[in-house]
Amino acid sequence: MTRLMLLAGMILAGLTMGASAQTLSYAEAGALIAKSCGPSIEKYCSKENIGTGKIMDCLKSHQADVPPQCFADFSAVFASINKRVAAQGDAYKACNADIRAYCSGVAPGDGNILSCLVDSKAVVKGTCKQVLLDAGWY
Amino acid sequence: MSSLIRLASAAALAAALCAPLSLPASAQTATSYGQIIQGLTAVTTDSPVIDAQALRNWAQNSVAQNAAIPPTQPEIVKKLFSLAQITVQIQFALNSAIIRPESYEAIGSIADAMHHPILWNYRFAVVGNTDATGTRAYNLKLSQERAQAIVDALVTLYRVDPARLEAVGLGQEALQNAKNPDDPINRRVQIFNIGTLKPMPSAQ
Repeated sequence: MTRLMLLAGMILAGLTMGASAQTLSYAEAGALIAKSCGPSIEKYCSKENIGTGKIMDCLKSHQADVPPQCFADFSAVFASINKRVAAQGDAYKACNADIRAYCSGVAPGDGNILSCLVDSKAVVKGTCKQVLLDAGWY
Repeated sequence: MSSLIRLASAAALAAALCAPLSLPASAQTATSYGQIIQGLTAVTTDSPVIDAQALRNWAQNSVAQNAAIPPTQPEIVKKLFSLAQITVQIQFALNSAIIRPESYEAIGSIADAMHHPILWNYRFAVVGNTDATGTRAYNLKLSQERAQAIVDALVTLYRVDPARLEAVGLGQEALQNAKNPDDPINRRVQIFNIGTLKPMPSAQ
């Protein structure tokens, strides 16, 4: 419950900053791991680096001493990042019809198409809108 | 400073993109998503091409020959420093490449910028620098390991395509403040936009 509230709180914080993402930003994800697991990482896993992918295994090997909140938040972060990465990969396809309808003259590259879709917020709906929200771009 | 002019050229775009975020005008270290995008987007078609391996080789040779630190920056460093760039503060454990948890968020902010469509087709060099405390060889090795640790975090945790990233350690070979080699300002991680991954798509 606390985990859900924290996650909801962070997403709400994102909302008030103007980033109405349905997933955590990568910065929020990192902050959440640091908050919930940082003390345990420094205490039990100080020889492991976050980029090796071995931190979770190390924390599990000290399961009795690591707060359950850490495992819950770490899993939530992985799920959120997976969702965001998938949405970012799917965005072009999911928005194909909207791009053709509203952004046909826009040169692709350098974020031009996204800018056009953002400018077309009033009309972009459905799957495209949801994917852009999940991608953290809308 | 030509880089300032080039930054300004991208500022309007970045400002539009990051309107909800407030951008401190004179921040030395990029911390917010908006600042990072702004710093890394300032690319022009005449930006020099940088070969990360050539940079690593240059730093290694400089250490191996124990060459005196030249009073002016060598050409390859000048070229690197002319690219769109940001400086970030990342906290590492003492004399180690272990990233401290307090810096996971900062690396996440870099990932947020790299995952944005405006930077999607670009490659980046993550460059580690030390001050002149300690031996040159040790500093070179530590800075390379730290740069690699940041790249690993961007790839493994934050899922940035590894083909877009190069880790380069320059040790104390490219001091920001060469007049005062022990100045902490020399200890820094810089991220440079080193050009496109694939040719930019053409208009359809």
